[in-house]
Amino acid sequence: MKILASLITMLAATAFLLAAEPDLHRGKPDIWGVWLGTGGYPDIDPRYRNTPWPTVEFTAWGAAESKRLTTPETPDECMPYGPHAYMAGGSLFPFEIVKATKGLVLLYEPSPVPRRIYYDGRKHPEDIDPTWLGHSVGRWDGETLIVDTVGTNGRGRPLNGYLSGAINSKTDDTPRLPVSDRLHMVERIRLVGRAEYLEDEITIDDPKTYTRSFTVKHYWQRRPDLEVLEYFCADNRRPEAEGHTGSKP
Amino acid sequence: MRDLRRLLFLALAVVMLSGGSAWAHHSFAMFDLEKEVTLEGVVKEFPWKNPHVWLHILTPDGKGGTTEWGLEMGTTGMLTRTGWKRSMLKEGDKVTVVLNPLKDGAPNGRLVRVTLPNGSVMGPGGAPPPPKS
Repeated sequence: MKILASLITMLAATAFLLAAEPDLHRGKPDIWGVWLGTGGYPDIDPRYRNTPWPTVEFTAWGAAESKRLTTPETPDECMPYGPHAYMAGGSLFPFEIVKATKGLVLLYEPSPVPRRIYYDGRKHPEDIDPTWLGHSVGRWDGETLIVDTVGTNGRGRPLNGYLSGAINSKTDDTPRLPVSDRLHMVERIRLVGRAEYLEDEITIDDPKTYTRSFTVKHYWQRRPDLEVLEYFCADNRRPEAEGHTGSKP
Repeated sequence: MRDLRRLLFLALAVVMLSGGSAWAHHSFAMFDLEKEVTLEGVVKEFPWKNPHVWLHILTPDGKGGTTEWGLEMGTTGMLTRTGWKRSMLKEGDKVTVVLNPLKDGAPNGRLVRVTLPNGSVMGPGGAPPPPKS
């Protein structure tokens, strides 16, 4: 009888273990929670200051696209970002990194779409349906999450003038930095500064837009005191002439 | 006074440097950022909505009527993180505002700061204060 009970217990335990989802997050660095980019704090410790975007060399297509996006008529204020602008490291909006069953989800306050990074072992699909943020797969290399992104639709909002170095320009007429549908973005995300800062080394390879690839490092500070709030953009549209978030209807 | 001006300049610089999307899309060129206009008026509406919150006030037009000024601020989240609550202003409240006017002379502007009926001075919303170390 005792043997039977032990057997049943063992079978039940085995069934439970087989049924349980593997915990992708066990033993991984504590990157969870709310983070705010350091870009808006000139006095931040220089070790955690965003590196400036380099002076890029556009292809003909990239130059035309950047110029198009710099005009006030385009594009729409409320459209999603490209993945590089999602990770721009500015200080106006926090994002939250949340554990998901198949990887992680980034919830960036001003974005209408979450960013999903899968690290359940999958690869990019052979034939990717394009999306605003593209398809991101990651793998942990020790304490660093290496993320590979392709499959963008090339219509995401660009990096804006302030982050691309236009800090002295009151008219913000410096180039927007777009990415195309041929973007290949590789990121190395890790905790630094006693786990109080998050570093993302971003390499952008986009031969349709830029003549060569380039790398920047962006930083976020851990901000448990902040919440990621609701942001529904298309709620208070104004005519173009009335203000700087004016939009064409 | 010089310190105050420096502080305000820094506050504006922080907003402009912050790399926020909402400030980024369209040029600041329609506003005269070198010019600050001070107005007293009463609140007409304070739509707590995005992409940006606007404060609408009525000021005397000198002819017995009023002029409505629309003043652009940051997003609801930016305002929340810099100490604002929707309930801080209601229709009919008397306020003093400082703004960067539109260059074309129309009665709209970018809010620089507003003095609330209780005397506290609030900004247009921007990056939150850094964490206390």
